Amino acid sequence: MVSNAVRAQVAAKWQDSFARLNRSEPGISGLMAFSDAWTLATEFLKPCDLNDLKSRRQYDMRRVRMAFDTINKCRRLPVMMEVFLEDLHKSQHLIAREVESHMNLYSGNSDPEIVRALIFRLVEWYNAWKPPAELGQTIISAYTLAFQTHLFSILPASFAKGIKSLVAATLLGTVSQSSDQRDSALWLAFDTLSLIERYETLITSVGYEYVESHVHETCAGAWSEPMLPKLRSWMLEKIVPWMIWPFARGATNAEEAKTMMQGVGSRFDFHMHKRLCDLRTKEIFDIIVDFPDSVPALHDLKECLQRVDQRAELVQSLRRANRKRLLHPGADTKDILLQYVSTIKCLRIVDPPGVLLFKVADPIRRYLRERPDTIRCIVASLVGDGESGDSLIDDNEPIHPLQQPEAENYADPEWTPEPVDAGPDFRANKTSDIISTLVSIYDSKDLFIKELQVLLAQRLLALKDGNLDRERRNVEILKIRFGEPALQVCEVMLRDMTDSRRIDQHVQSQKPSVMHPTIISRHFWPALEASDMVMPGQFHDLQEQYAKEFSAFKPDKVIRWHPHLGRIQLELELDDRTVEADVPPLEAAFIELFSEKDTWTVDELIERVGTVTRSAALKALGTWVDMRLLKEDSENVFRLLSVAEDVTEVAPPKLGMTSLRIYLLCSRYVIPAVGGEDLPPVISVQQQQAEQMRVYWKFIEGMLTNLGPLGLDRIQAMLKLARGYDRTIEQLGSFMEAAKREGLVTVKDGLWKLGK
Amino acid sequence: MDQITSSLAPSRNAVKSTATGSSGDGPGSVTKRLSNELMTLLMSSSPGISAFPKNDSNLFEWAGTIEGAPGTIYGGLAFRISISFPSNYPYSAPTIKFETPCYHPNVDINGGAICLDILQDKWSAVYSVQTVLLSLQSLLGEPNNASPLNPDAANLWGNPEAFKVQLMKHYRPLDGSA
Repeated sequence: MVSNAVRAQVAAKWQDSFARLNRSEPGISGLMAFSDAWTLATEFLKPCDLNDLKSRRQYDMRRVRMAFDTINKCRRLPVMMEVFLEDLHKSQHLIAREVESHMNLYSGNSDPEIVRALIFRLVEWYNAWKPPAELGQTIISAYTLAFQTHLFSILPASFAKGIKSLVAATLLGTVSQSSDQRDSALWLAFDTLSLIERYETLITSVGYEYVESHVHETCAGAWSEPMLPKLRSWMLEKIVPWMIWPFARGATNAEEAKTMMQGVGSRFDFHMHKRLCDLRTKEIFDIIVDFPDSVPALHDLKECLQRVDQRAELVQSLRRANRKRLLHPGADTKDILLQYVSTIKCLRIVDPPGVLLFKVADPIRRYLRERPDTIRCIVASLVGDGESGDSLIDDNEPIHPLQQPEAENYADPEWTPEPVDAGPDFRANKTSDIISTLVSIYDSKDLFIKELQVLLAQRLLALKDGNLDRERRNVEILKIRFGEPALQVCEVMLRDMTDSRRIDQHVQSQKPSVMHPTIISRHFWPALEASDMVMPGQFHDLQEQYAKEFSAFKPDKVIRWHPHLGRIQLELELDDRTVEADVPPLEAAFIELFSEKDTWTVDELIERVGTVTRSAALKALGTWVDMRLLKEDSENVFRLLSVAEDVTEVAPPKLGMTSLRIYLLCSRYVIPAVGGEDLPPVISVQQQQAEQMRVYWKFIEGMLTNLGPLGLDRIQAMLKLARGYDRTIEQLGSFMEAAKREGLVTVKDGLWKLGK
Repeated sequence: MDQITSSLAPSRNAVKSTATGSSGDGPGSVTKRLSNELMTLLMSSSPGISAFPKNDSNLFEWAGTIEGAPGTIYGGLAFRISISFPSNYPYSAPTIKFETPCYHPNVDINGGAICLDILQDKWSAVYSVQTVLLSLQSLLGEPNNASPLNPDAANLWGNPEAFKVQLMKHYRPLDGSA
């Protein structure tokens, strides 16, 4: 059914093909020659087994070349290449076998040298099968592509690991400057097999990891010297030479290499900064603890932060560390303050505008505000309290007045906008004065002034030698900080101290007494712990005598004793011994009572001295028991040991306390002195607040009595009549609730009235 | 620094005005005196007497409560009074009236006006709300029958039973809402 036309066409094609292959040679000799050439060429190109070298025939390269030439002339090269690639495909199992055996070995002992051997071997295969260069670039690249495609398809996953360890080995080799020769061959082999392109990320990561471990090794904990310059020169000396192999191969001169490595080089540089930054971020808490020894590390961190945007991480990390290590009940307030001050100083180095500081400081400040003894600690450090936080303040730092937060001065040519990451409530803290920062933890400085007065009162009352110079100096310093008016009360307190000495001198000159009271003006001193203790026996007589002399000297003044504050020196003469003691008044009162009779129960004793708590009484008695003057015969019954206990003879009932030398501190309104360690003689601010609340309660009582039931907001408004009332309505609400629980008031329909 | 001194300035003036208070005038010093008196009264907690400003903006109008002293005929009864201070207090006496009807020889049963010498011609600046209230409390138990505002009550005083009946007829217990 084939038509003539088709037949003619096939004939024409046939003729055409024949003519091409025969190349107008006579007869079919051309065709024969082509056939020979084809056979030879395909045979030559056919991939052989490197392990079976005997089967490899030697070819006459001239004939081979002629055969290629013949094929080329017949334009059969593409076909030949297809045949060659087909053969290649068939022989690929040889390579697969090779790879498999090497990788098996490698997974056995993980020696990168095996991978190195495999790579060299693969290069051998590649070179052995490579068509001769005469066939042109197209064929060679087609071959290369086919070879690599196949190679990559059979490489197992563990090969990546192998490459990695091998590259790491070369890196170590480069760094230690050994085995350079072998490595350069290896990099060439990598290049030949295009492994560099394929594993570029892997190679880079090897570099990164190496940099990272180096940073960790050399920089961790090393804060006392700047590490960045060292790291930079290390990169230049060690890492860059290695980087030339994978990233700047084929560069002919240094300039070219530099351009080729620009991208990857800056990535490495960034990586180094980032690693250092991460490290320092992790260590930041300890760096701050180490301040000021760690200043170089802070400068490093500052530089890193400019390169790497990790400010948020730094804040997070520091806040986390603070929460975990600082802001918990186990930390001493003094330590928290110290760390806070160091944080301020450190973060000022890292970030002069203070945004980081603001973010980090906020939780610390909030926490400090909740601690009851914060003010006391700050105040103690303000006056440079001997044993406590002198270090909070640098003595060399000039003393400035407290700075008020000031509005931004936009007319200032130096003005700069707030940094980008500053929050809306950010306040630039331009002052460098630590104390101002500490004082600003609280909203008002009045609290400080009050606490200062309390502290000063305590210190003045605790003075034994009467040397006021130190306190005077402190007050002068504080005047500079807080301004003169704020410290007027403190001035009065100091004056009271000198005045009372003068008054005492006068009284003594009229009638010598063993008592030396401190006379203080009640209105200017913080409220002192109240007590209605009565001194018995000769102490009482002494007080009376002194009071008489005093009122003769100052008739317009009335003395109100605070006998529980003070210190008494006693000499106790017993039957067989004399004991000297320097004791608080309660102790003295008790021993005085023992001169009346020598056995007392605790309750009898307490009754005689007025109101003291049982625990205080027992503590006082304990002092004498410890000194072997008293003995607890049965529970709560104490007996005087007028003869030391180890003497068997029963003690005679007579007490020989004939001479009692007393040194007693007392005062017009107050006799201040050191109280027991567990009872501060001066009421703390907190107690004062409770006292204030008592005043407010009187007001509430008054208004509810006279105005009938009132709503909470009305009560709040009326309380404005009470001077100094500054509670919020919420505070008032909880106060009223508390009063309700105690049955003082009832509430109905939101109206409060007094309970019956 | 300016802030500190300026915040201090008023208190300095205030101190001055109390120091010169005997000759000083103006509502400032009266207010100060009244709030001092309030403080003293509340903190002294004298039994049976109490007073408080009617609202927080006007210190010149107070409400007070007087309980009859135990053992007198008025014992156990509480009376609401109103106290109105003149602007030149304490140079003039406050005006005091019983709000609760009080059957008493020296008290007007209708208007609540009180006849007490220290509230009229015997007034002195050394008296205070507290002393006035204490005087009123004792007046309840010891009336001055020589100058009665309520002659019936004065006549009845000698007869405690009948007096008590009249007293209770007029008395209205405090309901707790002024």
